[in-house]
Amino acid sequence: MTSLAVKSLWARKVRALTTTLAVVIGVAFVAGTYILTDTTFAAFDEIFEDSLAKTSVVIGARDEVEQESGEVPSFGAAVLHRVKRVQGVRAAAGIINTPGGFFDSRGKPIGSRFAPKLIGSNRPPALESITYIEGHKPRDASQASIDEGAAEEAGLELGDTIRLASVERAKSFRLVGIVRLGDASFGGASIAGLTLSEAQRITGKEGEFDQIWVAALDGVSGAELKRRVERVAPPGLLVETAEQNAERNSNQIRDNLGFLRIALLVFAFVALLVGAFLIFNTFSITVAQRVSEFGMLRTLGAGRGQILTSVVVEALLVGLIGALLGLACGFAIAKGLNALFVAVGIDLPTTSLVLKTRTVVVALAIGIGVTLVSSFVPALRSTRVPPIAALQALEVPRSRRRGIAYAALASLLSVAGLAMVLVGLFGGANSGAAAGLMGGGTVAVILGVSLFSPRLVRPLASLAGLPLQRLRGLTGRLARENTQRNPSRTAVTATALMIGLALVAFVTVFAAGIKGSIATAVDDSFQGELVLRNSNGFSPISPGAAAAAREAPGVEIVSTLRATQAKLLGGDGGKPRVSALDRDAGSVLTIDWTEGGPETLRNFADREVILDKSFADGNGFELGDRVRFLTQIGRRPSLRVVGEFEDKADLLGSAVVTHGVMARQFDQRDDLLDFVKLAPGASIDAVQARLTRVIDRDFPTAEVMNQEELKQSQEDQVNQLLGLIYALLALAILVSLFGIANTLALSIHERTREIGMLRAIGMSRRQVRTMVRYEAVITALIGAILGMVLGVVFAALIAQPLKDDGFTLSYPVVTLIMLLVFAAVAGVVAAIGPARRASRLDVLDALHYE
Amino acid sequence: MSSADGQVVRAAGVSRRYGEGEAAVDALVGISTEFERGRFTAIMGPSGSGKSTLLHILAGLDQPTSGTVVLDGEEITGLDDGELTKLRRDKLGFVFQFFNLLPVLTAEENLVLPLSIAGRKPDREWLEQLIRTVGLDDRRTHRPSELSGGQQQRVAIARAMVSKPAVVFADEPTGNLDSKASADVLRLLRQAVDEFGQTVIMVTHDPAGAAHADRLITLRDGGLVHDAVPGSTDEVIELMKQID
Repeated sequence: MTSLAVKSLWARKVRALTTTLAVVIGVAFVAGTYILTDTTFAAFDEIFEDSLAKTSVVIGARDEVEQESGEVPSFGAAVLHRVKRVQGVRAAAGIINTPGGFFDSRGKPIGSRFAPKLIGSNRPPALESITYIEGHKPRDASQASIDEGAAEEAGLELGDTIRLASVERAKSFRLVGIVRLGDASFGGASIAGLTLSEAQRITGKEGEFDQIWVAALDGVSGAELKRRVERVAPPGLLVETAEQNAERNSNQIRDNLGFLRIALLVFAFVALLVGAFLIFNTFSITVAQRVSEFGMLRTLGAGRGQILTSVVVEALLVGLIGALLGLACGFAIAKGLNALFVAVGIDLPTTSLVLKTRTVVVALAIGIGVTLVSSFVPALRSTRVPPIAALQALEVPRSRRRGIAYAALASLLSVAGLAMVLVGLFGGANSGAAAGLMGGGTVAVILGVSLFSPRLVRPLASLAGLPLQRLRGLTGRLARENTQRNPSRTAVTATALMIGLALVAFVTVFAAGIKGSIATAVDDSFQGELVLRNSNGFSPISPGAAAAAREAPGVEIVSTLRATQAKLLGGDGGKPRVSALDRDAGSVLTIDWTEGGPETLRNFADREVILDKSFADGNGFELGDRVRFLTQIGRRPSLRVVGEFEDKADLLGSAVVTHGVMARQFDQRDDLLDFVKLAPGASIDAVQARLTRVIDRDFPTAEVMNQEELKQSQEDQVNQLLGLIYALLALAILVSLFGIANTLALSIHERTREIGMLRAIGMSRRQVRTMVRYEAVITALIGAILGMVLGVVFAALIAQPLKDDGFTLSYPVVTLIMLLVFAAVAGVVAAIGPARRASRLDVLDALHYE
Repeated sequence: MSSADGQVVRAAGVSRRYGEGEAAVDALVGISTEFERGRFTAIMGPSGSGKSTLLHILAGLDQPTSGTVVLDGEEITGLDDGELTKLRRDKLGFVFQFFNLLPVLTAEENLVLPLSIAGRKPDREWLEQLIRTVGLDDRRTHRPSELSGGQQQRVAIARAMVSKPAVVFADEPTGNLDSKASADVLRLLRQAVDEFGQTVIMVTHDPAGAAHADRLITLRDGGLVHDAVPGSTDEVIELMKQID
C-alpha cells in the first residue's frame, strides 16, 4: 500500500507539485522567519561581543526605566580616576556612544532612516576593538572615522568631509580613518569615531561618559575585577562584566525585536492556514476522482485500513517533501524578508545565515503536521468507498447528518470566534491574552465561515457571474454553472483566497481610519503653523533647534515638548509616557481640558503634574492627589495633580510636568517636538524656507514641517507599514492562487469528456479558454466578496473601543473596489495554466476519455 | 461547391495508420466511398474493423494518414483547428454513445447549445418543431439528471440537428440504451431523414439499428467488404455472421 501511495503520487506529478507548493510556501515562511531573526540576533551578539573583545568590566549609569527609544543616561566622569587605581586594572577609559546624525558634504544623510547612527569616542589601544582598514584614528577635534559599510554606501574616501550632528551644532570633520568591527554587517547602522573630548563636546556630554570600559591585568578574572570596581563605584552606577553586559544587550535586543519574529510568524501562519485549505481541497477531489480505483482495490481484498494507509502515506510524503523544500526555500525567504525590511528603512545587522536545529524541527513538524491534519478528513472518506464503486460511477458516500452537523459546527465556530474577539477587545484582559483571544477568535470565525460558505456559493456565484454573463453570454453562464456544480469545492477554494483578502481589507480599512484620525488630530490640536522634529519621526532633537528657531524673523513663539518614559510608583509596572510642556504651550496646542484650563498651564509649577484623564481614572487619581514616578535615573519625584485633559492625538502621553522637573528628575534635555507659531502677517512659506536653511546647516537631524507635511509624513509612515503588510500577505494570497489553479485543473480533468463534446459541437479553443478563465474569476470574486465583508466587519468591530481615542473609521471604497478588480485579475492569472490545457485537449481523445 | 450531384461526403483513398514501425496498426486501408444527401447510412463491422475511425475521419475529428475527405464541397483533410471549429458549427452534428449533455443546463438549453456557442439565435419555428418531434415538449426545463437515458439521447439528436447541418454523425447512439429506448432513437433518426431530409451517418453494432438505414456499409480489417441496402434485421445478423 505504501508503494501504491508513492506510485499514485508519481503518476500525478503536476498535481502533487502544486499541493506540495502549498506546504513549501508556508514552511518556507516559518523557516525564513526563524533564519532571519536568528541571524539578526546572532549579528547583534557578534557586534556586542566583538566591541568588548578586550574589555573585562563595563560601568554604566543604572537604567531604572529602560526607554523604548534606547536612550541611556550618562554619568559624571569623575569616577574614572578612582577606577583606574583599582588593583588589577590594566586600563580604563571613558566612552561616548551616543546617537546622532551623519551627513555627507552636501548634507545628504548617511545610513538608512530608522537604523541607529552612533557617535563614538577613541578608546586606548588596550581596549580598542575596531581595526583601521584605512587611515588612522582621529587625532584632533577636526578629524573623524567612520565604519566601512557606511563609507562604502556613501562613497566616502579618506580626506572627504563628513558632517556629524548631535546636541551641539553640526560640524564638518575630515575623514581620516575607515574602521571595521568583526565580521557582522551593521545593516543600516553606522558608527563614527571622534576624539574623546570632541565626542563629549558634540554630544553635549562634557565632563560625562556613557560608559567606562575596564581591561583586566593577566590573571585577574572579569568577575573578580567587577567586585573590586563595585567597591569604588557610586550607587548610581551599574558595574558588569563584559559577558554580563553583552548578554543584557543581547536580551534587550531580543525583547525589542521579539515582536518582529511574532509578527512574521503570524503572517507565516496565515500562509500555512491557506495552504491547509488547498491541501484539504486537493485531497478531497483526488479521493473523489479515485473512487473506482479504491473500489477496485476493495474488490481485490484491500481492507479499509489499507486504503486509509495509502492516502495517509501519500499525505505524509507530500508533507515531508514540502517541508524539506520549504526549509531550503527558507533561506531565500529570509533574504527576501530582509530586503523587504531594508526597502522600508529597517536595515538590520546581518551575519552568515543561521540555521538552528529548532528551525529544522519546527519546519518539518509544521509541514508534515499541516498536511496530515488537512488531509485527514478526505483520507477517512476514502475508507467509506464500497467495493461496488469499482463497477459503477459512484459519488463518495457522505454521512447523512453531515449537512446539519456542518451547519451547526459552522454557527458554533462563528459565534464562539466572534465572542472570543469581543472578549479580547472589551474584556480588559492583558494585551497578550487579548491578542491570543482575538487571533484564536479570528481563526474560528474563518473556519466557521468556510464551513458555511458552500451555502453562499450559489448566490455569490450568481452575483459575481452576472456581469460576465452579460458580457459573454454562454461562456459566462457555463463558467458560473461550473462553479456552482460542486459548491463545497468552490467554497474551499474561495475561502482560501478569502483569508488573505480579509486581512488585506481589514488593514486597508483600519489604515484609512488611522490616516483620517491623524489628519483630524493634527487639525484639532496644532495651532502652530510649523513643527520641528527628528526626520526619523521618533528620536529627540537638539534643544539648539528650538533656540535657533526663536531667533528667526517672523517667528513669534517656539514651544517645546520633551518626553520620556517613567514608572508609576504603585502602578502596574507599565512605562507611561511623561511629557514636559512650556507654560506658553496653550498658544500652539489645543488642549482638551477636563479639569483646570489654560491658566493651569500658565501657572504650572515644578511640584505639579497634569494627567491624561484615562490615566487618572485608571489609577484612581483625582485633583489634589500626589503622584510619584520612578524616573530613568532613579529619582522619585512626588507631584500634585492640578489638571486633567483628554488627548485624542496621544501627543502628551499620560502626564505632563514642567521642563525643570523633566530635566532634573527625568534627565530629559532634548526636544521631541518644537511647535512654532508665526508672528501675525508672516508668510508660512518664507519662514519655513528660512528656518529650513538654518536647521539643515546646524541641526540636520531635525526637519521643519508645516501642518500638511506633518500629516503627509504620518500618512506616509502608515502607507509604508501598509505596504509591508501587503507584501507579507502576498505569500498567503499566492498560495490561494495555486489553490484556484489546482482546483480548476482537477475539475477540468473531471470534465474532459464534456469539454470534448463542447468542442465537437462547435466551441472554439478561445471559448473554452474564456470559460475556464471566467470560472476562476468567479471563484476569486466569491473569495474577494467574502474576504471584504469579513475584513470590513472586523475593522468596524475593532474600531469600536478606539472610538474614545478619536479613532474614526472611514471606508476606502475606491481601494476596496480595486481589491475586487485585483481578485478578478488574480483569477485570470491562476487560470492561465488550466485554461491552456483545457483548450488544447484533443477533441477525439477527450470524447473517449473515461 | 455544388451539391447537384447529391453527394455530401466523399472519401477518396482514406488510410489511417496508428503507431510506427513494427507496432504500426492499419486501422483503415484505402477506403473510397461516397454518401448521398438525405440518406441514412449505417456502418457496421466487428471490433477493430475501423468503423469508428472511418466515422471520426469523415467528421474531421481525426486526420487520415493518406487520402482526402470532401464534406459538402469542402476538403476537410488538413484544416486547422479554427477551420474545423467553424466546420463543426456550420455543417456537422454529433450524437455520441454517452449522451454528453451538459448537466448544468436544461433540456432546451442543451438543445440550442450549438447555436449559443456560435452566438446565433435559434429559428423559433424550427426549434418548436424539433422539440415536438423528439417529444420533449413537457420536459424542456428539466435537467439531464431528471431525464431517462432515451430522453437524453433524443435531446442529443435534436441538438445535432438544430443548426440544420449537412451531416449528422452518430457514434453508437443506441449503445447505452435498452431496446425500447433504442427503438425510439432509431425511429427518430429515420424520421429526421424522411421528414427533414437530414443526412445521417451512423456507426452501430446493433443489427436492428442497421436495419433502419437506407444503406449498410460493412468493414473488416480496415477495408470495405460490403455495401448494399441492409434489408431486415435478420438479414443483417446473417450478413454479420458471414463477415465474422
